[in-house]
Amino acid sequence: MSLKPKRVDFNQTWHELQETVKGVITLANIPRAIWNDRFSDVYSLCVAYPEPLADRLYDETKRFLVNHVDHLLVQVDSYNDNSDLLTAYHRAWTEYSQGIYYLHSLYLYLNQQHIKKQKLSEAELIYGASSNRDEECQEQMEIGELGLDIWKKKMIIPLREKLVSLLLVCIDADRDSKLLAPIDVICGVIQSFVRVEEYKMKGQLNLYQEAFEEPFLKASKEFYMAEALSLLQQLDVTRYMEKVTWRLNQEEARAHKFLHKSSVPKVRACCEEKMVDAQADWLHAEAEIMIKNESKRDLALLYPLLRPLPGGLDPLVQKLTQHITQQGLQAIGPLQGENVYTQFVESMLNVHSKYSELIRDVFKGDQSFVGALDKACSAIVNYRPAPKQPVRAPELLAKYCDSLLKKSPKAASESEIEDKLRRSITVFKYVDDKDVFQKFYSRMLAKRLIHQQSQSMDAEEMMIDDLKRACGYEFTNKLHRMFTDMSVSADLNAKFTATLREGDGENQLGTGFGVKVLQAGAWPLALPPSPGPFHVPQQLEKSIQAFETFYHMQFSGRKLTWLHHLSQGELKFNYLKKSYLVTVQTYQMALLLLFEHCDAIPCREAAASLRLSHDQLIKHAASLVDCKILNKSTEESSELEEDTILTLNFDYSNKRTKFRVTGVLQRDAPQDAEATHRSVDEDRKMFLQAAIVRIMKSRKLLRHNQLIQEVLSQSKVTFAPSIGMIKKCIETLIDKQYIERTANSADEYSYIA
Amino acid sequence: MKVTIKSWTGVATWRWIANDDNCGICRMPFDASCPDCKIPGDDCPLVWGQCSHCFHIHCIMKWLHSQQTSHICPMCRQEWKFKE
Ligand SMILES: [Zn+2]
Ligand SMILES: [Zn+2]
Ligand SMILES: [Zn+2]
Repeated sequence: MSLKPKRVDFNQTWHELQETVKGVITLANIPRAIWNDRFSDVYSLCVAYPEPLADRLYDETKRFLVNHVDHLLVQVDSYNDNSDLLTAYHRAWTEYSQGIYYLHSLYLYLNQQHIKKQKLSEAELIYGASSNRDEECQEQMEIGELGLDIWKKKMIIPLREKLVSLLLVCIDADRDSKLLAPIDVICGVIQSFVRVEEYKMKGQLNLYQEAFEEPFLKASKEFYMAEALSLLQQLDVTRYMEKVTWRLNQEEARAHKFLHKSSVPKVRACCEEKMVDAQADWLHAEAEIMIKNESKRDLALLYPLLRPLPGGLDPLVQKLTQHITQQGLQAIGPLQGENVYTQFVESMLNVHSKYSELIRDVFKGDQSFVGALDKACSAIVNYRPAPKQPVRAPELLAKYCDSLLKKSPKAASESEIEDKLRRSITVFKYVDDKDVFQKFYSRMLAKRLIHQQSQSMDAEEMMIDDLKRACGYEFTNKLHRMFTDMSVSADLNAKFTATLREGDGENQLGTGFGVKVLQAGAWPLALPPSPGPFHVPQQLEKSIQAFETFYHMQFSGRKLTWLHHLSQGELKFNYLKKSYLVTVQTYQMALLLLFEHCDAIPCREAAASLRLSHDQLIKHAASLVDCKILNKSTEESSELEEDTILTLNFDYSNKRTKFRVTGVLQRDAPQDAEATHRSVDEDRKMFLQAAIVRIMKSRKLLRHNQLIQEVLSQSKVTFAPSIGMIKKCIETLIDKQYIERTANSADEYSYIA
Repeated sequence: MKVTIKSWTGVATWRWIANDDNCGICRMPFDASCPDCKIPGDDCPLVWGQCSHCFHIHCIMKWLHSQQTSHICPMCRQEWKFKE
């Protein structure tokens, strides 16, 4: 084939070409040689001399295709309102669309050289930058696009109404499992609406959406609405939800089967709108009952139905919050007896795990329901039985931990203890007044450490680590400090013993002597009861003095204060038939040592020699009388008076030869809890004042409300102070002249450097 | 001996011996740490000058660093020397 432009007889060439075009468009068999010749003809026409004939070729081809499609329309339309029409249309379309595809290749040169060149760039089209060129007087299209455009205008537009109503009938019949036309026919017809515009840069789905999707969705909505109404009359809520769930799945599958994929979510949305959203009030009312009865099966059906609706789950979330709160308060309400703390924590954990499970199984762990659980648990844990009463959780939780960590004959296994402690953190996280918990916890920890009552140091440390993880370093640092003091003390005692051994060995106690030296600020300890100083038994005096000397050699600038009410000793009783090893508090020890040279002492004298008040003496004496180590001169039921005479009970016997006399101070006094709450209040004031000073020091000038906000944000981890309390602290600091009100405004403060 | 002591475990607390309750530099009580520290005690110890004034070690070190020429006690303006 010659590439050189030459004169071409248009009519003759087109006549031959047209025959081939006809063959191509009807998928006739075209021999390779003919195809090649016609391919060259297209080229020759486009480059013809003296004048290219491309425009004429384009116009003739277009005219041919229009005629061809007009002809097909008549054929298809002759089938009339019957599903045969769909089949005929589909057959014609299948042939034509394939033919056009081949024809496009035959006109390759025209498409690429002639049309592309004159075609506006898409950018120009979109922004309308160039051209007053009227779109109707239209630029030329590539042959493939031209063919599709002709099909759209000459076939689809005229037949549109008929085609669509037939399609709707077919799809509706499919809902009843009736097949009016083959699936590939229905799909193919719907697809043709998409395919004819696929080449466009934008609005590709316009025809599909306007001509088909819109009427389809409208018809479907009517169907869903009618079905919803008839189901409502026949079914209860469970069956209704089952049916709607089934319908939604069916419709979604049907949409996948027949429609363009962009329609699938729209179909689902229409179905939800008519079958769920329109019945939302009724479903929400039913949901209240389901939650009240905790009917998991119904709620599991309801959840996926309501989830897609904006705000559809809100009433459920609210109702669930109320329900859990109510159930929880009922569970912890009537607690009574010895181990209220265990009942409290375990009931709380039961509530928590029960509803966590429900939320996981029924609501798929949905965050809004998890939030409902948190809100409810927080309300239960921080519930105040009466406005002025303190919240019980901080104390009960601390006691629960104490009961697990304290040595006890019926203690659980190490792993069981750690497991229970770990679970208690769940409750801890809901406690608002974490500082109150901390105070109780540290007092109980102090007792455990000082009296060597810890069941396991590993468990103790694990718990502190867990608290740190939940609440941060600041929260546990005093607790850590207490542990450090214990190990520092152990080292110190070892050194002291070594020093004694090197010395003259005059000391009586030697290895039996130990001291826990605690840093005053880190331990929640009361000072020894006044009036002091208690008269230390002379057997101990030398050792204590030696220790003090040793300590001051080790550390200068430090003062030691002995807390004898917290110390204890082990005594050997030699005056009875058997010998016993008995652990007692130091005051009791001193009292028993008084009997060395006599067998009977009046309380008054004992108090005087020990330099204890009468009240203190009788507290300690009473526990020895109670366990029958001492006898008293008065009746069984009477109190110890100043002239009551105490005597050693020489008939004392005990099955165990090694035991402990439980002292008053190791028992929990009811006023302890009150004192703890009071001291938390003091701590809070200190904390708030320190925070205000810190904030004002860095900001210099601040308005009242800003200051309050900053203070609140600094305290939120451990407690929520009342505004009144913050105001009081501000007043205190004004009195102390740390800050002052500024001259220009009554609610502005400045820092006094 | 009717009763003999086999062993004894004493409990004592320690605090700093200082003339004042508060550090003259940072105003914090000596039972608490200086503002730069979190834990009072061994990690934030007190030091005494020969003038017998006492401060958190961190506070007096900061103060001495901030003085260009001579090292004086911020309380009594005498020359600052650490007490041995
Ligand atoms: Zn300081
Ligand atoms: Zn410091
Ligand atoms: Zn000084």
